[in-house]
Amino acid sequence: MTKGRVLLAMLGTDQHELGAVAIAGLLRDHGFEVVYLGRFQTPKTILQAAIDEDVDVIGISCHSWEFLDYVPELIPLLGESEVDAPVVLGGSVITAEDALAMKALGIAEVFDSDAQSGAILDRMSMLAAERRARAGIG
Amino acid sequence: MTHRPARTTRSGIPVKDYYDADDWRPADRGEAPGAFPYARGRRDHAPPVGSWIQRELSGEGDAKRSNQQFLDLMAHGQTGLDIICDGPSGALMDPDHPLATHAIGTQGVSVCHKQDFLDLLQNIPLDRISVSASFPPLFFVPGLCLAARAYGFAIDALRGSTVLNPFYSEVSGLGTNLPFDARVRLSCDVIEFCSKAMPRFHAFVEDTYFFSESGLNAVEEMALGFVEIRHLVREVQRRGVDIDAFAPRIAILVNCGMEFFEEIAKIRATRRLFARMMRDEFGAKDPRSWSVIVTSHTSGLSLTPQQLPNNIVRGTIQALSLVLAGAHAVEISTFDEPYRTPTPEAHLVGLRTQQIIDLETGIAKVVDPLGGSYFVEWLTAETEKRIWEMVVDIEGRGHPRDLNDSGWFRRFFDDRMRRYLQEIEQRARLVVGMNIHKLPPEKDTLLRDVSQRKIRPARERVRPFKEFKLNRDFDRTSAALRKVLEAAKTTHNLVPVVTDAFDAHATLGEIAGVVRMAYGEPFDPFGEFQSPI
Repeated sequence: MTKGRVLLAMLGTDQHELGAVAIAGLLRDHGFEVVYLGRFQTPKTILQAAIDEDVDVIGISCHSWEFLDYVPELIPLLGESEVDAPVVLGGSVITAEDALAMKALGIAEVFDSDAQSGAILDRMSMLAAERRARAGIG
Repeated sequence: MTHRPARTTRSGIPVKDYYDADDWRPADRGEAPGAFPYARGRRDHAPPVGSWIQRELSGEGDAKRSNQQFLDLMAHGQTGLDIICDGPSGALMDPDHPLATHAIGTQGVSVCHKQDFLDLLQNIPLDRISVSASFPPLFFVPGLCLAARAYGFAIDALRGSTVLNPFYSEVSGLGTNLPFDARVRLSCDVIEFCSKAMPRFHAFVEDTYFFSESGLNAVEEMALGFVEIRHLVREVQRRGVDIDAFAPRIAILVNCGMEFFEEIAKIRATRRLFARMMRDEFGAKDPRSWSVIVTSHTSGLSLTPQQLPNNIVRGTIQALSLVLAGAHAVEISTFDEPYRTPTPEAHLVGLRTQQIIDLETGIAKVVDPLGGSYFVEWLTAETEKRIWEMVVDIEGRGHPRDLNDSGWFRRFFDDRMRRYLQEIEQRARLVVGMNIHKLPPEKDTLLRDVSQRKIRPARERVRPFKEFKLNRDFDRTSAALRKVLEAAKTTHNLVPVVTDAFDAHATLGEIAGVVRMAYGEPFDPFGEFQSPI
């Protein structure tokens, strides 16, 4: 049985894909289903994919500062459409200060470059399980 | 805990405890610098100082702001320009594209029409200083020509380079949403054009730096680079261009990571392979066609957001290996690279590092000072062998278009990205400050404030840009765009018509869009804009 469905995306014109690709592999190897949306995404395309794919967690890989502008658009957009999948961010450009600001906006978790695979998997499992329980899945 | 060094190089080449005379291939022993097969370098003499072009990555905000950066760096002694465009320009989008909004000028300079190129290159001695551009070549070369025309420089006097990556750009972080055949054709158009009109300009710079930042090792980097070079050479030859008309201007912009001797061996092996290939396979007769120019950026991927001062040390070691290997131009990725394109503070540290190596250490006094080192000579030969085996393997898998379309290239890069992070996590690759010898965050503060300073998106560019589009003579613009569209449907070289289109106030996004249309693709891959013609 799947541990959960995770959407992975990058925002705007950020094309540094190494982190996103590596995390996709890690999650797949550990029993998650990954919907890899990849580059050139916006809050609207992420919202649509989250609905279409009924994902449990939305993961956004950041290697530019575009998340600072897109996340404040994305969180209310998901709320308006009653998408309850939590959003997590990952990337070494996210400073400790940014992480606090993002969590205040409703981001469920921020993984920086110190994050270990085990911790990432544990946290993603928990977030996915919570969402699946809320949605009455499995 | 003790950590015994790995008994292989980063590319997996097993190494012994020491090397001696038996390890140096007899065939390589008579090689001299400045002579075929050029493993020991292109030149047999070293200038007293400044033997390589010293440059730092620059470009942020709009063109005027970036121009000021260039002038500041030149005032500090920089001897070449290294320009990077922002994410939207690299993806062939104008700043008014909705997807561009939050990234205008934040990771490079925003450049999208003629006036931008003029502003970018104002007061730059274009006939003396080499302008290296990480910018889509079909657009940079016309922009450079228009700036030269405006400032009174002859086109044939222009120096510098623009990077090419038609095979791998799309899957390694430089996506343009152009189909494979279009990307190859645009590259060949620029090479062909410059071989005739811009004899001092390097229109054919194989940029193995960028794609190898996906976690490739040295052998993989150069193997993929050679596969691409060989295909483009054949394509340009097929157009009837003599090999000796363009091969002397081929350069390779390589990565330089932390595996010190392997990076040196990689460059020496590359020069030897290139020389043999050009002479024996492609029939080049001019010795300048045999001796490839190798330039480098030090690896941004090797730098860490932890303990930022360590990155200065990494850049220094990498630059040292490049100078020892005889690189023709060096850019040091700066200490703040894990967070941003360089701050002025980081620029100065990078440039000063190069100047200290150049002016204080004396290591550039002698050409190829490591020539004859048993280990370096053995590793050069071994690296050469492995690169070539991989080239043969990849070429045996089919036409590069098929490898692209079937996703083989994509999987290749995905696997290496994954491998890289696994190596760090499993500590098969030790990175000081990241997976060993860590500091608690509260103590890891040196250089942090400066490195985390953000560049605000230059959104103020959007309104005047929209006004510019409304106020131009659109009949002239659309006529020029139609010519690009028609030419792109044929085999005509696109550089002259793209230059005319920029001159007629067409924009980067518009020109790219009509090229896409000629290849049966939508004008805007994101469906936000309709074709203006």
